[in-house]
Amino acid sequence: MKKRYALRFSPTLVEQPLVSKLVRTYDVDINILNADVASGRGGKLIVELSGTQEALSGSVAWLLDSGILVSEMFKELTFQEEGCINCGACTAVCSSRALSMDPQWKLVYDPALCVVCSLCVQACPMQLFEVSNEREA
Amino acid sequence: MAKSVAQINEKIKQGKVVVVTAEEFTLMAQHTSIEVLADEVDVVTTATFGPMCSSSAVINFGHWSPGIRMEEITLNGVSAYEGLAAVDTIIGATAESKFDPTYGGANVIEDLIAGKDVRLVARGKGTDCYPTKEIDTWINKDTINEFYLFNPRNSYQNYAAATNSTNKIRNTYMGILLPRCSNITYSTSGELSPLLNDPYLRTIGLGTRIFLGGTEGYVVWNGTQYNTTRERNEHGIPLGGGATLAVIGDAKKMSTDYIRSAYYEKYGISMFVGIGIPIPVLDVEMARHLAISNRQIDTMILDYGIEGHPSVGRTTYAELQSGKVTLPDGKEVKSAPLSSLSMAREIAKLLQEWIEEGSFFLTEAVHMFPQDSFVKTMVSREEGTR
Repeated sequence: MKKRYALRFSPTLVEQPLVSKLVRTYDVDINILNADVASGRGGKLIVELSGTQEALSGSVAWLLDSGILVSEMFKELTFQEEGCINCGACTAVCSSRALSMDPQWKLVYDPALCVVCSLCVQACPMQLFEVSNEREA
Repeated sequence: MAKSVAQINEKIKQGKVVVVTAEEFTLMAQHTSIEVLADEVDVVTTATFGPMCSSSAVINFGHWSPGIRMEEITLNGVSAYEGLAAVDTIIGATAESKFDPTYGGANVIEDLIAGKDVRLVARGKGTDCYPTKEIDTWINKDTINEFYLFNPRNSYQNYAAATNSTNKIRNTYMGILLPRCSNITYSTSGELSPLLNDPYLRTIGLGTRIFLGGTEGYVVWNGTQYNTTRERNEHGIPLGGGATLAVIGDAKKMSTDYIRSAYYEKYGISMFVGIGIPIPVLDVEMARHLAISNRQIDTMILDYGIEGHPSVGRTTYAELQSGKVTLPDGKEVKSAPLSSLSMAREIAKLLQEWIEEGSFFLTEAVHMFPQDSFVKTMVSREEGTR
């Protein structure tokens, strides 16, 4: 199974190689979708963990033990499709190609490709995108 | 053989008129001669659905009892103009609410068109003929008298595409421009766009009946910043903003399908306006204009990251609509639209149906627009306060 988490680090934890420790300790694949980490300032990682249910819950428990704030991304991007006028402004900023125009110039949204960069939230002149809340893991 | 607008209207009346959209006409021109098309097709419909900031609505509220000569007028917290007699106003699309920067004049116009109640607050000096000093009430489109759209500048003939060479993201009216020229945005419907199909405005002038916001409207003047001096390519297409139109129409009959408020992050409010213009295929010369294809429509790419927006290159709508544009330095950049081509197509199709079913007739302009108009910039003077 795959789950996405937001990991929040304190400044001291940034100095530790947490991701590689996690991979070595648990049988999980980690895909970093978004990272905002800086030495001395702490940071946030959006990661997708794939592995068995056990491996995932073990990973989360271990991360929490290490002092990282872990929350599961339970809905990524929400899109109120009915208000869409198919202008295409959101596609200008979507590098993951989750948002694209089809041959009839209608907007297509593929949540599987979304990396939650949230640029479309600002780009949409109809304000139809929202990045949803996370929930505690 | 050349046709007149009157002859075309006679055909509409008889149900014999041949109408196609500008995209269909361009496609037909690939395998049919212009002469045959000029003969066989009577009307070509064009359309656009893009953000048009210079839009507004004129409203007459009806008199209050006892009377008030309105000042400091707000509609849902958005300021409306107070200098038009007692109970007339004009509200601009880009005016912002005092309480919410994402709500503005365009939202008020959209809410009124949707039939929603809007809060009206106004003050008055209290005079002999207008003694009331303050009102706070609710209006909707059924309680007010006139409510018409009056847009001083719509339907830009062409518009430059935008990119951003700086290291910082730019929030512009051309959308979000990523750093280091990582995207290009553009905002016309290309070969379907009204004024690209009649580049010298031979058939469009004062009094031209058009599709506006879901009902019929009229061209009432040349638009502001009307520019006939822009450099043109070999097909007569200006390489950037050229002609514009001022348009008018009864907002009470409009639909929120074709008038939509918009909010651009860190820029402000705008309004998507649906416009469709029928162009009579008067002769071979008009047919040649109408056969224009996206490959033949050029526009400049301007750098919105730098003051003065210098040009970084030139492209065509064929390239822009392909989703990738190659800049002069060889970099391939993603391109994305800001105006809705699918909505423009819907409008062109709807206008085609109206003409075919005989509910929309063409008009002959009663006054043509200037051929020698250019755009001045403001003059800055010292001692400017005097």
